[in-house]
Amino acid sequence: MTAAPYRVHKLIQDLMRDPARAAAFAQDPEPTFNAFGLAEPEKALLRDGSPGALHALGVHPNLQMKYARLRAKPPPAGAAPGGGGPLAAYLDRLTRA
Amino acid sequence: MGRIVGGFATSHVLFPPTGVEAQAGRVLDGMMEMRARIQALKPDLVVLAGSDHLNNFSLAMQVTLAVGVADTFTTLGDGGAPSVTFRGHRPFAEGFVRHAGRRDFDLVQAEELRPDHGMAIPRLVIDPENVLPIVPLYINCNMPAPPSPGRCYRLGGVLKEFVETGRPAGERVVVVGTGGLSHWLCLPEQGKVAAEFDLDFIDRMVGGRSEELAALSAEHIETASGNGGLELTAWLFMAGAVPKARGEKLYYEPIPEWISGMGGVSLTPIDVAG
Repeated sequence: MTAAPYRVHKLIQDLMRDPARAAAFAQDPEPTFNAFGLAEPEKALLRDGSPGALHALGVHPNLQMKYARLRAKPPPAGAAPGGGGPLAAYLDRLTRA
Repeated sequence: MGRIVGGFATSHVLFPPTGVEAQAGRVLDGMMEMRARIQALKPDLVVLAGSDHLNNFSLAMQVTLAVGVADTFTTLGDGGAPSVTFRGHRPFAEGFVRHAGRRDFDLVQAEELRPDHGMAIPRLVIDPENVLPIVPLYINCNMPAPPSPGRCYRLGGVLKEFVETGRPAGERVVVVGTGGLSHWLCLPEQGKVAAEFDLDFIDRMVGGRSEELAALSAEHIETASGNGGLELTAWLFMAGAVPKARGEKLYYEPIPEWISGMGGVSLTPIDVAG
């Protein structure tokens, strides 16, 4: 896998550290794509956002997972919380001394 | 002189048991056995080796080998592990970095870390009461130019030398390597598990043949066990700290639903085994 240009990785890494910018990106990614100087083929693959597209672009595997979270729309206000996370079934034993 | 009294390694994730209840149960039992064995050794501190998942280190500055030197660390809270503050051990960590420098390993000292699930889940296994000082040692195998398995193994030997020459008499240290085994993360092969490779790796490690594994190239391990399989370099660091040690497989389960070969081992240092 050929690595994506650094500007793609920088976009993901910078958004991870800037919640306000990440929230704006989740609503409309285009201004962010432009701000990071992405080429049109790069934008198209990031708009797609599927595992195949991100792999084709060469996004680092760990950053692929973070990108998926950046694209996720926040749950609607008042939505019920999820299933307690991946460790929920084990926490009783894990935390019991 | 201090002593390394035990070496352990374990996978560092857990996922919901739905559909794989029996396997998940055996994985958790294996982790609980590791906890019991570590607690029985009554360590004064634990060196916990593993990779960051681009949560603390990034592609902006590609750090491969680093030691957490801070007095305390607060875990990130990802992967389902609750955010917890635990003690580090500054004199040990800084002393190790200086000693490693004299042995041609230039390690990065990290003051500001939020250890992610790769450290947080094993920490939960090791020390549920949160009483042990834990020194995080980062082997960032996911960097574009990862450290070689041989270098990681040799760094374990440097840790052993430091404990035996630079630490107070009677200090008891346990080393734990985390991550692996085979998994292909965010690659077309995701979901594949190389059980044959995993079991051979475990068999050779518990059979006192870790030097053979340390001679493998990073490229070989990655081809055979995926990009995630490179996390086994943390197991090799641990094995280097207890050279020629033999031990036991604590658990192994190939779980494609979790996209991973899940396993753990216990090694007994030869001076402890007698």
